[in-house]
Amino acid sequence: MEYQRAVDLMSTVKVSYGDISAEVKKSALQDLQDHQEQSRKLSEDESNLPALQAAYRTILRGLGEDTERQGLARTPLRAARAMQFLTKGYHESVFDTLNDAIFDEDHDEMVIVKDTDMFSLCEHHLVPFYGKVHIGYLPRKKVVGLSKLARIVEIYSRRLQVQERLSKQIAVAIFEALQPEGVAVVIEATHMCMVMRGVQKINSRTVTSTMLGVFREDPKTREEFLSLIKSS
Amino acid sequence: MNGVCNQSMVTGVTDFQRFNGFAEHPAESKKAMGQRALDTSRKESEDESKLPALEAAYVTILRGLGENTDRQGLLKTPLRAAKAMQFLTKGYHETVYDILNDAIFDENHEEMVIVKDIDMFSLCEHHLVPFFGKVHIGYIPSKKVVGLSKLARVVEIYSRRLQVQERLTKQIAMAISEALQPIGVAVVIEAAHMCMVMRGVQKMNSRTVTSAMLGMFRDDPKTREEFLALTKNK
Repeated sequence: MEYQRAVDLMSTVKVSYGDISAEVKKSALQDLQDHQEQSRKLSEDESNLPALQAAYRTILRGLGEDTERQGLARTPLRAARAMQFLTKGYHESVFDTLNDAIFDEDHDEMVIVKDTDMFSLCEHHLVPFYGKVHIGYLPRKKVVGLSKLARIVEIYSRRLQVQERLSKQIAVAIFEALQPEGVAVVIEATHMCMVMRGVQKINSRTVTSTMLGVFREDPKTREEFLSLIKSS
Repeated sequence: MNGVCNQSMVTGVTDFQRFNGFAEHPAESKKAMGQRALDTSRKESEDESKLPALEAAYVTILRGLGENTDRQGLLKTPLRAAKAMQFLTKGYHETVYDILNDAIFDENHEEMVIVKDIDMFSLCEHHLVPFFGKVHIGYIPSKKVVGLSKLARVVEIYSRRLQVQERLTKQIAMAISEALQPIGVAVVIEAAHMCMVMRGVQKMNSRTVTSAMLGMFRDDPKTREEFLALTKNK
C-alpha cells in the first residue's frame, strides 16, 4: 500500500534522488519507508539478549533436552546472537546504504546483477529459506554502484520475510532510489519449511518476480531480461 | 540427552557382544537393554501440553528482535514455530529397538551392502540452525541383513535432534553395529552447515565430511577403500 503511494508520489514529482536537498530527501524517504525499517536500534541489541536467552532456554527444555550438558550450556546465548544477526536488516535503511553511490552516466541499456546469494527467514515457521536473486534495471542517466544492489538484497532479506514481499521490497527500493525506466527482480529459493518438515519435497523451488516500469509494460524487454538471467 | 546416551551406549555394545545381536535375546532383557542405551527423553503424548510454554518463548523472541507480533503474518507464528521445532526434534521420541525389531532377516550373505545418498536434515545444537546433507551407510552382514529402509529410519531417529555432526555419525554407526552384530559398519556424512553459510564466516560452498568406521572397515584398508569408491559421487 505505502509503496504504491510512494511510487506514485515520486513519479508525479518527476525529480530523482540526486536533485532533492539532503534534509528533505531524508525525511521524505523515512516517511515513505515501511514502518518496519529501523524498528530495532543496533545499540539495543545487547540489552535484549537476556530476554532472548531465557526464551531459548525455555524452548530447549520444552523440547526435552538437558540444558546443563556441555554442548548446550552456551547455546541460548549463541542462538540469540545468531537470530539477531539473521534479522539485522531491521537496523538498516536503504537511504544510508545507497546515498553516495549513485552516479551520472550516460547509459540507458539494461544492467543486470544476477546469482546474488540470498538467505532469509520464513516469518511463518522461523526456518531459513535461501536462494538466488537476479536484479535488472534500465537506468535513466543514473547508475548505482553494483554492490549496492546486493546490499539492498541483504537489508531486506535479513528479516522475517515472505518471498513475495521480499522481491517486491527490493524492486520498489531500487525504483524509488534511482527512478529508472524499469526494474525487474526474480528470486528463486528453496524453503526449508517445505524441505525439512511438512510436505518434505526436497527438490522443489519457489520462484517469484516483480516487474516495474518498462519491464512490466514491454514484453520484449522482459524477455531479454529473463533470457539473460537464465543459467547456461 | 545425547551425552547420557553416549555413556550408556558403550556398555550396551559390550553387553550385546556377549550375545548374538538383537534377535536372540529374550524379549524383556532386549527391551531393557535397548531402553537403557537409547532412552527416550520426551514422550510424544506430552508434546501438546508443552506447546503453550514454547509459544510464549517464541513471542518473547519475536518481540526481542524488534518485530510486531500483532501483524497478520506473525499472528500464528509462535504456534507454527513451536510445532516446527517439535517436528525437527522428534527423534527424541523414537528408539532404534522399536524401529528395527521386526525387520532383521537371516540371509546367507556376507558381501558389502551400501545404502547411499540418504538425505539428512538436522539442527546444530550450538546455534539452533539447520545443517543438512547426505549420509552413506555400508555394512557387511554376518548372516543377518536388515530391511534397507530401516537404515534410513535410523538416520531419521538420530538426525531429528539437536546434534553435532561427529556425534550423529557415530550414533548411526553404533546403532547398526549393536542391532545386527555385522562384520563391519561404515557411515560417511557430507553436510552443509547453515551456521557457517548464513552467518559467522559465511562460506557458501563449504561442506563438512565426517565418517565412522567399525569392525572390518576399520581394520582392513581394502574394504574401506571399496566402500569409499562405491559411494563416491561422479
